[in-house]
Amino acid sequence: MESVIQQSCFDCVLRPDRLFCDLPSDALQAFDGIKSVSLYPRGTTLFREGHAARGVFVLCEGRVKLSVCSETGKRLTLRIAGPGEVLGLSASLSSRPYEVTAETLENVRVAVVKRKDLLRFLRDHREACLQVVSLLSQDLHTAYDRVRSIGLGRSRRSRALRVH
Amino acid sequence: MISPYGLDIIESCLTCKMRVDRIFCDLPTSALQSFETIKYATAYPKGAVLFVEGQSPRGIFVLCKGRVKLSICATDGKTLILKIAEPGEVLGLSATVSGKPYELTAETVDPCQVNFVKREDFLRFLKEHSDACFKVAEQLSEKYNNACHEVRSLGLSHSAGEKLAKLLLEWSSKNGEAAKQEPRLKLALTHEEIAQMIGTSRETVTRLFADMKKRQIVQAKGSTLVIRNKAALKLMATNN
Repeated sequence: MESVIQQSCFDCVLRPDRLFCDLPSDALQAFDGIKSVSLYPRGTTLFREGHAARGVFVLCEGRVKLSVCSETGKRLTLRIAGPGEVLGLSASLSSRPYEVTAETLENVRVAVVKRKDLLRFLRDHREACLQVVSLLSQDLHTAYDRVRSIGLGRSRRSRALRVH
Repeated sequence: MISPYGLDIIESCLTCKMRVDRIFCDLPTSALQSFETIKYATAYPKGAVLFVEGQSPRGIFVLCKGRVKLSICATDGKTLILKIAEPGEVLGLSATVSGKPYELTAETVDPCQVNFVKREDFLRFLKEHSDACFKVAEQLSEKYNNACHEVRSLGLSHSAGEKLAKLLLEWSSKNGEAAKQEPRLKLALTHEEIAQMIGTSRETVTRLFADMKKRQIVQAKGSTLVIRNKAALKLMATNN
């Protein structure tokens, strides 16, 4: 991967454009302390549906496919997540298993935060908690859109057209 | 006290006995006190529409008593029921937070008590009380989980029979009936509404019920449904 690992969120030039990352400096400093930056090649599974939530993955660079799976192994893509999104958030907050599978579509750079650290961080930093609430609302909006297109699409053809 | 629709209205959250069991309501006293000043306790009859999909968000509705049907609707009028919300749930939350239109329609199934909070008041409340903010995040996570579940069952189930069997198993696992040999469940919904929950027609649901009764998988006693053969129902839910 050609990009250099950017260890600190303070040096990140993309930060102001991103919903979650645009935090006040004290919160950012605390976040810097609990995250660990990792690079993953294309095709890596970041987490799997049904597994206990270990933490969240803040996507710094690259795209990730989020999908759900049936017992028989059939897969359905929920959406493609882009940079700036926080993955595994709802599972980590509700301490349920991950509800989706996240698989990298490109080489990605993610900041990983353990569940316990995240919960403490959110309790200490009100702004971050508010960001998380609005992120979750957005996730929910896209999920409902997906429910609508799958559940109310008239035919398989019209459903296929709406898949991105 | 006059109680509309036979409801016993809980006026104050501070004295509410149900509070401790509910995710959102179990707030520290200081937060609860400020919540108390911004909420409006209201009662609705059965069949009242709290908000409609597409409407710009006015605020949140904390469901205190009764049940509310949450559905989405296509332009051709086809309806899909996402969930029957139970007391303790906060409705219209994500739209209120994000400022986007309500993504669902909420209609009461029973007479309900609902505590309404205006959008501006609620946003200010969240900024001031981080505990409440955390609880909102938890509620949203719960809803997201439910939405993913819905996507999975709608998008990946093969037949209506499979979906109906799954739905019945899910309902029968509530209220401590799961461990029983022959769990009972109260059918609160009509066949039409069940059809809307699993994305099929009323006729199909009626046919499936008749078929399950014939095969002695379920038995109807008034509005109560007894699952006679749980193994067969599980087979229906996994096999297609």
